[in-house]
Amino acid sequence: MGAPQKKIKVLISKVGFDGHDRGAKVLTTLLRDSGMEVIYLGKHQRPESIVRAALEEDVDVIGISYLAGDHLLYTPKIVEQVKRNNLKGVLLIAGGVIPREDIPKLKKMGMAEVFPPGTPTSNIVDYIKAKLLPPAQPEHNCFGAEETSKNGGC
Amino acid sequence: MSAEIEKLTEAYLERVKRPMTWSGIPLKEMYKPEDIKDLDYPKYLGDAGEYPYTRGIYSNMYRGRFWTTREVCGFGTPADTNKWLKFQMGEGVGGLNVIFDLPSEMGVDSDHPLAATDVGLGGVALCSIKDMDELTEGIPLDKVSFSLISADPITLASYVAVAQNREVNIAKLMGTIQNEPLHSRYCAADPACYPLDLSYKLAVDIIEYCTRYMPRWVTGNVNLYNLRETGITAAQEIAFGFAFAMAHIDGTLKRGLKIDEFAKRRAFYCSAHIDFFEEIAKLRAARRMWAKIMKDKYHAQDPESWKFRFAVHTAGCSLIYQQPLNNIIRVAYEALAAVLAGAQSLHACSFDEPIALPTEESQRLAVRTQQILAYETGVGNVVDPLGGSYFVESLTNKIEEEASKILEEIEKMGGALEAIKTQWFDRQIDAASLRYQKEIDSGERIIVGVNAFTVPPEKERPVGAHRVPPESAQLQIGNVEKLKSTRDQNKVRLVLEKLRQDSGKGENFNLMPAIIEALKAYATRSEILGTIREVYGYPYDPLELVKSPFSTH
Repeated sequence: MGAPQKKIKVLISKVGFDGHDRGAKVLTTLLRDSGMEVIYLGKHQRPESIVRAALEEDVDVIGISYLAGDHLLYTPKIVEQVKRNNLKGVLLIAGGVIPREDIPKLKKMGMAEVFPPGTPTSNIVDYIKAKLLPPAQPEHNCFGAEETSKNGGC
Repeated sequence: MSAEIEKLTEAYLERVKRPMTWSGIPLKEMYKPEDIKDLDYPKYLGDAGEYPYTRGIYSNMYRGRFWTTREVCGFGTPADTNKWLKFQMGEGVGGLNVIFDLPSEMGVDSDHPLAATDVGLGGVALCSIKDMDELTEGIPLDKVSFSLISADPITLASYVAVAQNREVNIAKLMGTIQNEPLHSRYCAADPACYPLDLSYKLAVDIIEYCTRYMPRWVTGNVNLYNLRETGITAAQEIAFGFAFAMAHIDGTLKRGLKIDEFAKRRAFYCSAHIDFFEEIAKLRAARRMWAKIMKDKYHAQDPESWKFRFAVHTAGCSLIYQQPLNNIIRVAYEALAAVLAGAQSLHACSFDEPIALPTEESQRLAVRTQQILAYETGVGNVVDPLGGSYFVESLTNKIEEEASKILEEIEKMGGALEAIKTQWFDRQIDAASLRYQKEIDSGERIIVGVNAFTVPPEKERPVGAHRVPPESAQLQIGNVEKLKSTRDQNKVRLVLEKLRQDSGKGENFNLMPAIIEALKAYATRSEILGTIREVYGYPYDPLELVKSPFSTH
């Protein structure tokens, strides 16, 4: 089965003056329940403080929760900080009250994925795992080699 | 076709799967006379207009006057929102209802170095009386009922100052200041902006000031709605809200006012959530409970002090992003529940609220929803039409019983202020919101368009998003900078020094007069709140970046 995998580490944060943090807090707990290590940075964060925390904590994912119509304004600032600090390979995702027509714009700016209200938690968990974990190996392997198992199976 | 046939037979056999209220109160299949056999009419119900007001606070209810149609709004510059208010008036609203932007709620000016991105978001920017003057331009303040959703004294003081500058007698002003900073920490605000001792003191200052000088003004609109939006139950909504309301009453009594001097100008802001009967029962129960509390606990003598006056905001959190037109139906049911429960004022949500700011079209639809209720359905003809229903009365009793139990628990802890300090509310709210999400994730709770009856996004009717004009933030920042550079600085220095001295005179010394004078000299929100904060030992700037330009320390 190999060595136990390192836990996925996620940073969840609000940004700017908007303090509607219910979604961020609920998601923090539910991602933890799914086995991830999650830091909730809190409300009223700045792009700089989010990226600094992401660096210090060496996270795999940064999740930003939006509500006040500020997503198109803050996302470029966060992306810029990510680039400036050379945070390569960190998955940047967003969620919250975001009009559908803005989702492609956010992706163009650098958000890997955007989860609007009503997204089942499992979708977010599955998305993060699919992006960060290597494809699941078969539970047991009759021949010890993937190629043979592909041919014949058990 | 077999998949469709399977779906059809499945749909044919569907039935109630969750025989309980939204809040989880188990329900019987049918309610009978025995369920309300102890319901003594004069003791527990009484006619509308009579103690304990279960059936309504006025004897004739909507035959006397309909509820006030009052749609919350606020975005961009004061001029942007002024234009919107005039649009609303043209559509036939009966009252105005304005919310202020994120920097204003934080207690800082639009030109704060961190505020630029957030100016005009979440509400309208308001830093000075110049902004209030623009916001209310062309609106005769002695003729309209104006509700201000704000938790610090600057907003109300600006309104008073502008009225006085226009030579309007403030005794004639009609409206409401929300004035409930205690709940704010659980609903978006930063506790650093609302230090418990100071914000509580200022809330009592507002109550005292309005009681003395503005007899027609509602001195506080305790916000149960925001609390409910976190995911708590109907009974918790009443209990938490009442605990905060009682904290304000205790503070005002301690200040030396008599209960019958100020209780009649207190009000509440409640949610109408999606469970129809539970919400009606909740609001009826709240009316009865409040009357008892005012009479038995606070020994109020004036029947006006016993009345639970409430506005309703239909539940924003019940609205769904997916298939947004369905929200029109949700809002209509919720608004109907509010009216059947006897609300004094109603904000019906616009169906696009889970997506963006309401557009003109969606806002008009929300106003029309209220007008159809008022003029076509006939539901306003008869007072408390559900009174006497075995089910509704039984559920009213049940919610009162549950809410009383929770309120008692809070009182045993030492009241709301203690429960805030021990983070009891935080724990209750976090648990409730988590439970709600888990019920949706597991499918135990069906939400149409979310975990049932879904369609791919491309099949949804696109809803345009109303955007705050992109130039508004810079315009507003420019205006504030201009104000600060062109006013008489010496005058500002003097009024702030007076405010500083008054702030040092102890918590019973009312700061409203000094705040109003400071505003008239064009001091701003940041400067006024910052000056008071410093005296109380808090940083001038809640974000600890800006230093007082007028500090002598």
